[in-house]
Amino acid sequence: MTTSAAFKRSFDSISSIFALTADAFAREGIDTELLHAVDLALEELFTNMVKYSTTTDAAVLVEIAAIEGGVEVTLTDYDVEPFDVTKSADVDITLPIEQRRPGGLGLHLIRRLLDSIEYDYSQEKRCSRITFRKTQSGSPASGLLTNKGEENACD
Amino acid sequence: MLAIDFVPDGGGITIVGRLDAAEAPRAQSFFDRVEGTVTLDCSRLEYISSAGLGVLLKTQKRLLASGGKIRLTGVNSHLQDILGYSGFDQIFEVERAR
Repeated sequence: MTTSAAFKRSFDSISSIFALTADAFAREGIDTELLHAVDLALEELFTNMVKYSTTTDAAVLVEIAAIEGGVEVTLTDYDVEPFDVTKSADVDITLPIEQRRPGGLGLHLIRRLLDSIEYDYSQEKRCSRITFRKTQSGSPASGLLTNKGEENACD
Repeated sequence: MLAIDFVPDGGGITIVGRLDAAEAPRAQSFFDRVEGTVTLDCSRLEYISSAGLGVLLKTQKRLLASGGKIRLTGVNSHLQDILGYSGFDQIFEVERAR
């Protein structure tokens, strides 16, 4: 079963998103050890959508489904330009503090916490979709970043 | 929800709850008032995102410039992972939770 809800494009929605994940994990019996990483990934991806797609008021759809050994989460963002999160550069974490900037850290972190991240965009529907997976046995997603092009985008 | 407070008699700072993007501006307002070298007790910090890390980074830069710093104590395994993945374990002195 999939748990889903649409969220207003505002940082004020973050607590409601966390409430949705907690509810989905409880109802689907998903391992709560995965909750921290899933909440972090959802916050980072959602806040990116809010910050960088400012020309739309469309709500962001979040869908959460149990999979074997873990969870799959999809965020769908309507009426937006493409923003491929799988293409963002890693942060150089070896820089001295004087040269460190917080920008880009969110996507850098979630690549290390998730098993996989997929991005697809429908030009026709102006719709971005990000799907990520986190399982108990999974490994970091650095080698599993996928741009699916328009394959099944926002169907 | 997030609560941040000074511990009386110079006992540092406690932070309780979730430091996410919605709470980061309020957290930054608090940390902008911090001076010198302080201990931040993270034993009841349940969650931190990149927005929260940004607050800590900005504060650490400001304090180091004037000879101070933040030390993180009571760091749980989730927070330790985040600090390690972000390289912040090289920027902050970290004491893990017992």
